[in-house]
Amino acid sequence: MKLYDYVLSPSCYKVRLMAALIGVTLDIRPVDFHPGCEHRGPELMALNPAGSIPILEDGDLVLTESSAMLVYLAAKAAPQWLGNDTAGRAARVQQWLSFSHRLTASLGAARLHEMLLRPGNIAALREQGTAALRELEAGLVEQHVRGQRFLASDRPTIADIACFPYVALAPDGGVSLDPYPAIRLWSRAVRSLEGFIEMPGIHRLHELTPAPVLEVGEA
Amino acid sequence: MPPYPTGSWMPVALSADLPAQTVMPAQSPAGPVALWRTRSGRAAAFADRCPHRGMRLSHGFVRGETLACIYHGWSYAKAGNCQRIPAQPALTPPDTIRVATQHVEDGGGIIWISVGEPAAGPPRFEGLAPLRSMVVEAGIVALEAAAGTKAAGGLLDYTYDDRTVWLLLAPDGQARTLMHVLVNEDSNPDERIDASRAAEALRRAAEDIARAGIAR
Amino acid sequence: MTRNTMIDGWYPVGLASQLDAHGRRTALMGEPIAVRRGEDGNAKVTGGNGRDLPACIRYGHVWSSLGDPQKPLFAIPEADQPGRRLVDVGVVRVRCSPLRAVENFLDIAHFPFVHTDILGAEPHTEVQNYKVEIREDEDEVWATQVKFYQPQAAKSAEGGITTEYMYRVPAPTCSVLYKTCPPRPAEWDVITLFVQPLAEDLCDVWPWMALFDDETPMTDLIHFQQTIFVQDRSILENQIPTLLPLDPGMEIPTRADLTSVAYRRWLKRHGYTYGAQLVAQ
Repeated sequence: MKLYDYVLSPSCYKVRLMAALIGVTLDIRPVDFHPGCEHRGPELMALNPAGSIPILEDGDLVLTESSAMLVYLAAKAAPQWLGNDTAGRAARVQQWLSFSHRLTASLGAARLHEMLLRPGNIAALREQGTAALRELEAGLVEQHVRGQRFLASDRPTIADIACFPYVALAPDGGVSLDPYPAIRLWSRAVRSLEGFIEMPGIHRLHELTPAPVLEVGEA
Repeated sequence: MPPYPTGSWMPVALSADLPAQTVMPAQSPAGPVALWRTRSGRAAAFADRCPHRGMRLSHGFVRGETLACIYHGWSYAKAGNCQRIPAQPALTPPDTIRVATQHVEDGGGIIWISVGEPAAGPPRFEGLAPLRSMVVEAGIVALEAAAGTKAAGGLLDYTYDDRTVWLLLAPDGQARTLMHVLVNEDSNPDERIDASRAAEALRRAAEDIARAGIAR
Repeated sequence: MTRNTMIDGWYPVGLASQLDAHGRRTALMGEPIAVRRGEDGNAKVTGGNGRDLPACIRYGHVWSSLGDPQKPLFAIPEADQPGRRLVDVGVVRVRCSPLRAVENFLDIAHFPFVHTDILGAEPHTEVQNYKVEIREDEDEVWATQVKFYQPQAAKSAEGGITTEYMYRVPAPTCSVLYKTCPPRPAEWDVITLFVQPLAEDLCDVWPWMALFDDETPMTDLIHFQQTIFVQDRSILENQIPTLLPLDPGMEIPTRADLTSVAYRRWLKRHGYTYGAQLVAQ
């Protein structure tokens, strides 16, 4: 499976993270999104006329939406991540997958504006991003009351992976995560998953490893 | 009079929101703090700034009984003294390298901070259980107006649909309030979810009032 | 208020490769400026009141100044060596003091915690003694014989090595790093941090590299350096105070911080205080 990837893109990171968590190896094809704008060049526009990345290619299947890529990876390698064992849960997963696009359009656009100088109405983007974070926080509080640590279930699903990156990187766009204790706990739960990988802007949870000690004689 | 005179307690977070070996940012009467809990379960509050390079300690990590800064890994014991500087592992840090600490009390599911020597323990709310904390972009006056009742001792009783939710309010400046939502400890999950939604509705109403006030 | 002595310096204001007739609007120390390609093909930079500003193209970037530069832009002789790949990494905006951005670039002790498993990893956290000086002839800060264990020192490095560095500060918002070059042990890779001060607490950072590496695809080189810098960004946006404190007492340096100590002393000596805080608050 080939992923057209940009290392600073939270949407590309969703796919890398999902693959890492379920042990799928991706063939990474780096795209010079910034400063080269390669995603708008002829080769990638032919593959994805929307001019966006990520793009996932597997045989003659070409996917250009990150949520579809999460579904594909999970269905192929780890169906329990689909979270579709009951009607209610399946719907809840879809609810959060759709919601994740609002995160991209608000927090993601604020981040591009603040970090990579892309145009946008920053005040409006931050306001929409804050509204989305409040909605997520309330949803997580309700899940917690039901005894569930993740968005759609007591175990992680593709819904969590779809929402996590843009939320974790909200401060890159000048939107604080300080007011959201439930998001903090959930984010920590995601970052503690076996096989979790970081992206720039999301640091390693150093507390998960004990303070390492240098053996005598080691440099 | 400032909202939290020396020796009085400010409710800064819920105990459940700070598991062992975690750190979170919080507001205290003396400014921003890194609120953290050791592996053995004890809560502590540091001024949210590493004395080395000024990095916010609330971005750091807890290992065992120390809080470390994410920038260079300098770690601090609960008393605030620097224990280790990874760039100079053989050095015992001088006692002068320390962060300011504040008094923390963790009881009844709520974490309280006092600046200065507290005269007594923080209040207890018998029969109530904390549900969640929320930040409201409005002052206490707007929350009181939205609830139609006055806060007493920092606690606002808000009745909706014949049910009551208790809101423990901590001002963060004039225009922002930290609101801890408490429910009857016998509440079942459905009632707790209703209470959370009622608190959301009250926040919307209070923020509308505050916005209208600014517009006027 | 004393005159801003940094006003006569050269600052990066855009990528030369992206210079076009349409131009780009940006800012330099609070003043809006416009950068475009003139009819003669050269870079043309105009200030807020429409006046022409000095301009030159060097090291992949357009450089300009709000004042009257007394010296040409600093030299990086290695940049002209044949066989090097020149890498335009592109801009990253950071809400921090331009001086804090440079100081972070001079620091190695954060590698294990911020660039985990790339530029550093526990337990290899110790910073060995190194040499720091302010070279009076060149009027530059230099740190030499800096060594640090790196799990993945560069895109072309496989596995961990002890990497050697030299750091150089030729201008208050620019630093040049010379680093062990795995494919050519006799040479140094050149990695720079060019910082455009938009305001005292806001900057556009333009990393740039001149490497001996014929193997690694250009996009991988760009992504490696963007990864490193964006890992630093969340640190830089969370330091308190925002401005770099030049007076002792506000922050505590240790032996590993000697480059930063020399940098701050050099800034203070020249009155390079745009983005600095002089009195502890």
